[in-house]
Amino acid sequence: MSERLKIFNGAKIEGLGLFIEPEKMLIVADLHLGIEEMYNRQGIMVPRTNYAEIKKNLCWMIERTKPKKIVINGDIKHEFGEISKQEWREVLSIIDFISTNVKELVLIKGNHDKILGPLAELKGLRILDELYIKGESLLITHGHEISNSNEYEKAKTLIIAHEHPAVSVREGMRSELYKCFLKGNFLGKKLIVMPSMNSIAIGSNVLREKTLSPYLQQDLGKFECWAIEDKPYYFGKLGALNE
Amino acid sequence: MPIEFDKEKLSDEQLFAMLHPLLSDWFKNKFGSFTEAQRYAIKNICYLQNTLISAPTGTGKTLSAFAAVLSELITLSERKELEDRVYCIYCSPLKALSRDIERNLNEPLNEINESAKKIGKGLNIRVAVRTGDTSTSERSAMLKKPPHILITTPESLAIVLNAPKFRENLKEAKWLIIDEIHALAENKRGVHLSLTMERIQRLNPAVCRIGLSATIAPIEEIAKFLVGYDGGEPRNCKIVDVSFPKSLDIAVISPIKDLVNVTQEEISEKLYSKLDELIQQHKTTLVFTNTRSATERVVNHLKEKFPGKYEGLIGAHHSSVSKEKRLSIEERLKQGKLRAVVCSTSLELGIDIGYIDLVALIGSPKSISRTLQRIGRSGHRLHDVIKGRILVLDRDDLVECTILAKCAKERKLDKISIPKNCLDVLAQQIFGIAIEDRIHVNELFDLVRKSYCYRNLERKDFNDVISYLAGDYSTLETRHVYGKIWYDRETGLIGRRGKTARVIYMTNIGTIPDEAKVKVKLGNITIGYLDEAFLERLRKGDVFTLGGEKYMFIYSRGMTIQVKSAEKMPPTIPTWVSEMLPLNFDSAMEIQRFRRLVAEKFENKRSKSEIMDFLKEYGKCDGFTAETIYNYFYQQQRYAKIPHLNLLLIEQIKDEEGNHVVFHTLFGRRVNDALSRALAWIMSKLTSLDITLSINDNGFILSSRGKMPVENAFGVLQKSELEIVLKQAIEDSEILKRRFRHCATRALMILRQYRGREKSVAKQQMSSGLLINAVKRIDPDFCILREARREVMEDAMDIENAKKVIEMLKTGTIKIVKIDLPYPSPFAFNIFAMGRSELVRIDSRIEFIRRIHEKVMEKISS
Repeated sequence: MSERLKIFNGAKIEGLGLFIEPEKMLIVADLHLGIEEMYNRQGIMVPRTNYAEIKKNLCWMIERTKPKKIVINGDIKHEFGEISKQEWREVLSIIDFISTNVKELVLIKGNHDKILGPLAELKGLRILDELYIKGESLLITHGHEISNSNEYEKAKTLIIAHEHPAVSVREGMRSELYKCFLKGNFLGKKLIVMPSMNSIAIGSNVLREKTLSPYLQQDLGKFECWAIEDKPYYFGKLGALNE
Repeated sequence: MPIEFDKEKLSDEQLFAMLHPLLSDWFKNKFGSFTEAQRYAIKNICYLQNTLISAPTGTGKTLSAFAAVLSELITLSERKELEDRVYCIYCSPLKALSRDIERNLNEPLNEINESAKKIGKGLNIRVAVRTGDTSTSERSAMLKKPPHILITTPESLAIVLNAPKFRENLKEAKWLIIDEIHALAENKRGVHLSLTMERIQRLNPAVCRIGLSATIAPIEEIAKFLVGYDGGEPRNCKIVDVSFPKSLDIAVISPIKDLVNVTQEEISEKLYSKLDELIQQHKTTLVFTNTRSATERVVNHLKEKFPGKYEGLIGAHHSSVSKEKRLSIEERLKQGKLRAVVCSTSLELGIDIGYIDLVALIGSPKSISRTLQRIGRSGHRLHDVIKGRILVLDRDDLVECTILAKCAKERKLDKISIPKNCLDVLAQQIFGIAIEDRIHVNELFDLVRKSYCYRNLERKDFNDVISYLAGDYSTLETRHVYGKIWYDRETGLIGRRGKTARVIYMTNIGTIPDEAKVKVKLGNITIGYLDEAFLERLRKGDVFTLGGEKYMFIYSRGMTIQVKSAEKMPPTIPTWVSEMLPLNFDSAMEIQRFRRLVAEKFENKRSKSEIMDFLKEYGKCDGFTAETIYNYFYQQQRYAKIPHLNLLLIEQIKDEEGNHVVFHTLFGRRVNDALSRALAWIMSKLTSLDITLSINDNGFILSSRGKMPVENAFGVLQKSELEIVLKQAIEDSEILKRRFRHCATRALMILRQYRGREKSVAKQQMSSGLLINAVKRIDPDFCILREARREVMEDAMDIENAKKVIEMLKTGTIKIVKIDLPYPSPFAFNIFAMGRSELVRIDSRIEFIRRIHEKVMEKISS
């Protein structure tokens, strides 16, 4: 069953991240640091745990995979009005933490990433709209809009995030929601959807909610699904889960 | 004796002499003499003695509380000594009741004023209502000229206590009247009020508390709840307990002769004919159903089945009906313009509804006190007969209602339970107190422990709440967001934090949870609403039933779901049954006692006629009812065994679905909920079986493919602390998540209104899941989470009585008899009919996904 943890050749699910073995590259997405503040402003006094949780998870993934490169596939920070000092510190501290442990850090623009400009200047980071891995014909992009680059045309596999996919596992009257990876097709290309690292919200239930990403407007019944709890659990096709 | 029954009854003459002559004259002209309740109560209230008046509606209860107040106000007014401040606070749980009371006070006041004017002494006594409906202009008028009698609700009272200017007017309030105290004491509104009362007492230590209650048990506890504690002892209180003066005419009717071989349609056909017959035989009938949906159904059916008969003469009354519609129904009812009003529970409390000559209950009222309260709404004048008919729909209902009716006739009351040490309500009130004034933490602790509900509060729990409110669960930098109170550890002083504290408090006060409803849309048309818990379970393609039609779920967005019509398709998911009225434990024990008596007759080989005679006499029922009950018990006895007070019957059945174990635990749903979850949890730890549960008031069923270790599980249950087992069993449950949202809202961790914006329940709901997860992460023992667990175990379930049951099993008072049967016994039919999908094996999120994953993998590889 272990090969089922390989989402495609050379790519392995590690926690909430995806490890591309030939490149020694770890991809994570949708950290949404500071998201608690958005809830606070709505009157939900959710305690601030996202930063510590994400750091803990990153630490675990780095230990396990010893990557040369980390790619953050969009939305490192949940942007919501002014950014407080503490939030700045959290973002910088995550970046410093990665930089001291991993050789290279690449940030990919998400829809929430207005912060990236000043951040890049401060830290001298690479910021890209998307990242193309030639050897694997792999395009990593956030997924809030369809790419129109040349690399996109060449790519055989797309890795997106943005959707925060989650899947409900149900039995009788009990139903639990888990973060998940999805794998399917988009116009002849292989499409991988990554879960969010955000530890405050699980995500949006793909078996129930209307999907957001323009890459995910087709019927998802044939998409395969890996639910993540203490480890990945392969659940087969989404269509079959509804039966 | 701090709490004592009042034995001193005054005569008319004594009372006329005691009250102001103008009031005495009014009483003489209006009523001629005083009622029983008034003869006892008035003097106490004159002497400012705390008094609890327990009497049914229509016995002059309100005036027994107000007579002394009015008398004194008239005296002061006459002497021109009446100041511009509040003398008396009257608080009732219902806004509707406030208007009634206002009218009932203004009537004597106006009439007395007329008489006073004739002798040249015009009075100037003001009465005003302040509830959530009161407009800003009315409120500012009240501030300029405060009423002498303030009529309010628990929530509005807490708000005025925190309104800096208005509070000045309350400082010398002499009387505090709590109406319908029995209805408040059972829930967190009452817990909240118990602290509000202490806050008022802190303003004026001499305030006299007066409680008005329906007939209820245990009355001494209600008295202690009313007056609170001082120095560890209950404050003094006189109890005026006026037993039911009216004669009772209660009967149980089964609309259909054969309750066994009958379809749902036939039952409903006969039910409506019978109901129509009863309504037609009487002038005005009040019908109680237990749920809102049933209320609508009954009204619609009566209109449809009997065209022309009920048009404009019948109304539905429940909390989802708009305020205008409700008021119009109440008004027409009072004027005698309606033949019938159908309500869920909303007319249980004492709103003035005029003359009702029959109360009909559809289905069991689930407690003796509630039977009396509901039926007591008929014959509202002092000497009328109270008349009630209970319509039953199956044999369990018949037995249950027969015993409830019997006990009601014998005035054998069942006990209510009062929630204790609720940390969410405590947090809300401490926040309010801190806004009001600086207070030392020790003084605050003492103040809180004066409330009946917190008299045994542990210092640690208190400290945890203070720590939560001080924002200790956040970093120093974000404390301005999370901290609600200012707390100086050096000096021990507590006070207000930030300028917005008062606004937040005023706009978020209250304890009644908002239930989120999911809007169901077919295209652009809204076709109905579903319970929030139901949405959690839905997946695209699911077919479910709503209002008798079948629909397929397409997708959801927030709290709206899109469906399409799905006639001819079988439902894929059972319809969610929301929390039903549970059978009271004491009532359940009465039924168990009855079962034992009948079982003994069978064991002693009594003849049918002997047993029938016994049934008629004991159950105070007619021959037909007795015969039906006889047959029911006879069949149970022949086929299996009659479970009762000292005999817990466990039957094991095997069918194509697997093994079912039926536990005949007639202890009410709240106890069964606790027992069954604990047992299922133990079994799931002992074996690796999937176990499903179905629960009702009469028992529960555990079902599984494999053989369940019943004896072992019972053994473990008897050796364990029930709290510890149950705490683990509920940790990942739906009910804990739901109750946590309620608790977090009460504790103001979730603000319904913030920065001028109202937050929809839908949003609260969506955020509460992430809140509970984050809270567990910072502290699995966080005080508000602890409160949610307590609420589930003590209020939603009944862990106390469940422990008693386990104790009875341990000591052998209850013996277990286990039998194998090919089919379920007659007593087990109804539990079986509920379906076995109530709740699935209790395992953690990780265990759950592992188990389902294995199943799915088996399916994929096969």
